[in-house]
Amino acid sequence: MNLLMNLDTAFFVSWLAAAVRLAGPVLLAALGEIYAERSGVLNIGIEGTILLGALSSYMMAVESGSTALGFIAGGVGGLLVGCVLAALYLRAHASQIVVGIVFNILAAGLATWIYALVMGNESSPTIPMLEPWHVPLLSSLPFIGPILFQQPLPLYLTLLLAVLAHFGLFHTRFGLSLRAVGENPRAAHAAGLNVLKIRTWGVLFSCVGAGLAGSYLVTAQIGLFRDNIVSGQGFIALAIVIFGRWSPLKALVAAFIFGAADALQLSLQLFENTLPPQVLLALPYLLTILAMSGVVGRTLQPGALTQPYRKE
Amino acid sequence: MKKLLERRLAPAESTGALVLTSFCGILAAFIIAGLLFIPFGGNPLSAYGFLFDAAFGSLRSFGLSLVQSTPLMLIALATIVVWRAGLGYIGFEGCFLLGAAAASWIALSGTPQGFPWAIPALLYWPLVLIAAFLAGAIWAGWVGALRVKFGGNDVLISLMANYVALFIVQYLVSGPMRAPGDLPQTPRLPVESWLPFVMNGMRAHWGIAIALVATVFVFWLMRATPAGFEIKIAGLNPRAARYSGVDVNRRQMGAVLLGGGLAALAGLCAVLGVQHRLMEGISGGVGFIGVVVALLARLNPLLVIPTAILYGGLEVGGSAMQRQTGLPTSVVLILQSLVVLLILAGDLLRYYRINLPGGRQSRSPLAEEQS
Repeated sequence: MNLLMNLDTAFFVSWLAAAVRLAGPVLLAALGEIYAERSGVLNIGIEGTILLGALSSYMMAVESGSTALGFIAGGVGGLLVGCVLAALYLRAHASQIVVGIVFNILAAGLATWIYALVMGNESSPTIPMLEPWHVPLLSSLPFIGPILFQQPLPLYLTLLLAVLAHFGLFHTRFGLSLRAVGENPRAAHAAGLNVLKIRTWGVLFSCVGAGLAGSYLVTAQIGLFRDNIVSGQGFIALAIVIFGRWSPLKALVAAFIFGAADALQLSLQLFENTLPPQVLLALPYLLTILAMSGVVGRTLQPGALTQPYRKE
Repeated sequence: MKKLLERRLAPAESTGALVLTSFCGILAAFIIAGLLFIPFGGNPLSAYGFLFDAAFGSLRSFGLSLVQSTPLMLIALATIVVWRAGLGYIGFEGCFLLGAAAASWIALSGTPQGFPWAIPALLYWPLVLIAAFLAGAIWAGWVGALRVKFGGNDVLISLMANYVALFIVQYLVSGPMRAPGDLPQTPRLPVESWLPFVMNGMRAHWGIAIALVATVFVFWLMRATPAGFEIKIAGLNPRAARYSGVDVNRRQMGAVLLGGGLAALAGLCAVLGVQHRLMEGISGGVGFIGVVVALLARLNPLLVIPTAILYGGLEVGGSAMQRQTGLPTSVVLILQSLVVLLILAGDLLRYYRINLPGGRQSRSPLAEEQS
């Protein structure tokens, strides 16, 4: 039992700290996606949006020399993408799934094209990454400190946004309208809500979240841009939304579980072990499928998810 | 006086309007994508000329385009069958991967990495086709069953299932099916298990025949059989279908099994026709581009053939163009998706009628969008 002997405190600390680190970007993307899905729009285009957000963040950081500006640029890029996507999701008479899938392919092509245009064939510079920020006092706590309070700034921003998103969704008038539109757009319309406008907000929130997630990847984790930088993290965010039952705080837990599974298989590869790492990797997806399947309990997905709405 | 642009109560459904709006969408996509060559110092016209010449100019390149289009065709057909039944399944990447895995497993029969007993040559082809088809059918089937029996969301479940399939293949190539060596991949498949070339000088393998047979089959199924008719009405209006005695659940399950199997055959073609070994990343997103092909063909099986050949050709031409002229192949990806997006956006035009002053009512929905 070579494995158990290595399970000391240091292992747990480094494992959980890695889990938190990996959970950050996808959680940020998932928070936005919750708003889109709660308003009835399944934004599968989140994958491409993260990619374009990462690209704008990287280019801004290289051009301006300021990583912080780069971080903001990702959000702005996401917002621009959101305007296009909102028009396609809500105005074009096509299914949201179709628009999302096709948009992801477009974004992949576009990101490579823009990158080749701006950077040419020269080797791309790495940008100075956002350093982990040690929260005063808290970071010196044993165990909790190194896991939670020695992370880069975007993580704290994400945690703050999770709380804000929860408050906004469940304790404000806007959140109530958003959920109403996602459950039953017709009834919401009859009650005097502007369905398309509220859904537009949902899509915009989702794309800004995804764009910032892209910045997060670039500015705090990788420091570079590659066209395979996102590699499915948008779809992981979709899984987190489902696993978190369309609630920001539960999504926080879900993101942490996904991160933990991912980090665990990375650390376990260091040891001799009989369990293939793919089992751990697949586990969160299997749990998500179970949560979606309708086999255990009722699925709580928004009633009008993926259903287009047209004014009569 | 009438307004120049008048909104229709219902979209124009005539074939003319459909063809015209689609044509505008395609044209606009080609124009926009063509402009993307200019910053790289390319002339759009000559770039397109080069691209199409490299894709269809000679027998050899046409063969390569056919090879590239084969999986697209099969996945587009799968999409048609499944989506016509009213499902939103998009897990074709997963079916593709498992089909490829099953095909390699049979092809490696008799070796430590494959099926434990050697398979006689006569039985090889039926067995490998059946194994791949079954793998895909089962993989799509459980997602379909969750949707049909328990009301699960098949769009999201199938997206997640793609990842599970990815990990299964990752496990296979790094574990039980791994070849000795550094890379996580299977040994090269024996030459006699490969799909042979159709003819000398043309690099197309017999996978294209599988795709064409599948096309005819799907066309016949949807057009001329009660089962196909029931699949279609189950998709158009499940409630009405149920009232008229159609077993909607059964038809949807049948459709998803067939679709999964077809997508798995695409994996078979890729592994036995092109790669000749199973490895990670073998799909390269073809499961999603195939869906785009189906959409562009407006879910019509016969239109899938030209559309898939066009898209496969674009990929072949695009990479040849990048190799020889340095123009970025990403334009092809942009073009492939832009065509569909602009056709979708172009559908909005069918809601408008142009009233030319003095003239009779024009049906042309051309007007605004090019600007």
